[in-house]
Amino acid sequence: MTRGNGWIGTILRVNLTEGTIKKEPLNMQDAQDYVGARGLGTKYYCNEVDPKVDPLSPENKLIFMTGPLTGTAACSSGRYEVVSKSPLTGIIGAANSGGHFGPELKYAGYDGIIFEGKAEKPVYLNIDDEKVELLDATELWGQGVHPVTEALEAKHGKVHVATIGTPGERGMLYATVMNDKNRAAGRGGMGAVMGSKNLKAVVVRGTGGVKVARPEGFMREATKARTMLREHPVTGAGLAALGTEVLVNIVNEVGGLPLRNGRDGSYWDKADDTSGERLVETHLIKNQGCFGCTIACGRVTKIEGRGELDGFGEGPEYEAGWSYGAACGVNDIGAIVKANFICNEQGMDPITLGSTVACAMELFEMGAIPESDIGFPLRFGDAMAMVKLTQMCADGEGFGNIIGLGSYRLAEKYGHPELSMSVKKQEMPAYDGRAIQGIGLEYATSNRGGCHVRGYMISPEVLGIPIKMDPLVTEGKGALLKTFQDLTALCDSTGICLFTTFGIGLPEIAGQYREAVGSDETDEEILLKGERIWNLEKRFNIEAGVEKDTLPPRLLREALPSGPAKGKVSELQTMLADYYEARNWTSDGIPTQEKLDELSLTY
Amino acid sequence: MLVKFFATYRQIAGCKSCDVEAPQDVLALMGVLSERWPEFRNLILNRDGTDKGDDVIIMVNGRHIEHLDGVATQLTEEDYVAITPLVAGG
Repeated sequence: MTRGNGWIGTILRVNLTEGTIKKEPLNMQDAQDYVGARGLGTKYYCNEVDPKVDPLSPENKLIFMTGPLTGTAACSSGRYEVVSKSPLTGIIGAANSGGHFGPELKYAGYDGIIFEGKAEKPVYLNIDDEKVELLDATELWGQGVHPVTEALEAKHGKVHVATIGTPGERGMLYATVMNDKNRAAGRGGMGAVMGSKNLKAVVVRGTGGVKVARPEGFMREATKARTMLREHPVTGAGLAALGTEVLVNIVNEVGGLPLRNGRDGSYWDKADDTSGERLVETHLIKNQGCFGCTIACGRVTKIEGRGELDGFGEGPEYEAGWSYGAACGVNDIGAIVKANFICNEQGMDPITLGSTVACAMELFEMGAIPESDIGFPLRFGDAMAMVKLTQMCADGEGFGNIIGLGSYRLAEKYGHPELSMSVKKQEMPAYDGRAIQGIGLEYATSNRGGCHVRGYMISPEVLGIPIKMDPLVTEGKGALLKTFQDLTALCDSTGICLFTTFGIGLPEIAGQYREAVGSDETDEEILLKGERIWNLEKRFNIEAGVEKDTLPPRLLREALPSGPAKGKVSELQTMLADYYEARNWTSDGIPTQEKLDELSLTY
Repeated sequence: MLVKFFATYRQIAGCKSCDVEAPQDVLALMGVLSERWPEFRNLILNRDGTDKGDDVIIMVNGRHIEHLDGVATQLTEEDYVAITPLVAGG
């Protein structure tokens, strides 16, 4: 693999303490072994940072990394990754985002950026092709994502901006990095790490391009993938028409939509009020896509006639629609859209935030949180209290600061850590691991804590993509999840969107990758890189002191009270044993030396 | 029995759900729906009308028919059925 083959070949190293900027050659061996974006960013991070580092200290580093397909003619190639140690979980915190920022970074001449140290005062990095400079951000500090983006666009012209809101400035544990206003590197608090460095934004304008190794073969593979995506019912029509929120009714139908912090099971007779179908009727203006994307699942939405709720923005996605909807028992879709707007405008993870509000509602209703602590009643179903608390969290006001700690620290503070619906301190998304067994295993083993996009078992268990598996059984889930996790690590690392995997598979991802970088590796050899990335993340987490792979007690002990999965709990231990065996890890979930040798993993 | 429509199938049916007299099985139900809304015919049934189409999800009482008896799954008045085109999210 050589420079020019999907890669620019240059990394920016920005030392914020010293105010220095260096241009370094990309480590091409690591690029070959760890693909790009999530994998390569994590490899750089592991090479340079002590796993025990305090995530919000100057000793921590923050890495923006693109993949070899980012910004190329490959399908949905607008992705990049933000990598650091998560202040929320204390383990690896890679977060992926779309939009146009990643491609623009490559067009400016850089595959990635490594931020070190901490600036003395607020700064932003301005990249204009070969000109790279740190500029004063004092006047931007204290402002939200949208005004900062607009101010920087007004000053620098046709640029793409990645920035943080005021929660990120304050080190709020699940602050996001937002680019192109409403696209988020959303989970694990990468925005808090950015804020801890006094780094307000990264502005980029690029006029170059990205070369691939074998242009003719690459265009053949890219065209084939795009055709498959266009012709697939999900990626060609369904996601554009109804967005990800279309899942609400389907997941609810199988009894897998966690209701009121999971307290009341996972079937809701009001689910349709919060569905993608309902969003189209009430708030959708149009759909839109990220760079080079034919799927165009994004929702441009507005709220009118609701007084203080009125607004304009994007989303929500299915997960945010659930966290502010079913999880809080709120069926006012305008309030859900509004809460999501606040998250986008101030850079906060709506999955964690909505889930934390839901946890607070349960604690309040059982009397564990006194009203005096919150300042008002906080009962399930109270839409306006939910929006108010989200705004308080954004503003760092009163009880909003406690919500900003996430549900684990909230529940622990009030004496009931078992009521945090989180894994490794990060909140689980919108599927119940009791009704959909494989997704529970996925949450428990995810390398960044509770997360659905590390091995999306909903595809086989609910949607039947690529094969239909019974959500209530455990057999075969461990081995399939292992393959899904490895494929996801590969996909994230190439720089294309994970949603492409609804319509294409390993042959098409590997085909585009091979032609871009000039490789003659087989599909299986390329998938092995995904497994190497997964094991690298796991090794880092072990060194950082990761907690064991498990689920909240509610999922393991409280049987679902109703719905198609009535009486079920998660059969995690059975699946975990199969999963560890499939990974060739010990029965305690530790990668064996044999596996590390097979993967040539020395970390 | 209750039949629920999700996603773009609501536009075809013009409603979120409807009541029908329970036919013998799922295949017969798809025939009933295709008769009432002819646009469904090519979407929910395969070409020769002997099985469901590739791009439709059918659930009886919240269970995919693949995990029951397929289109031969028996129906009663107490059952509820959901049909949706293949969609995804996350």
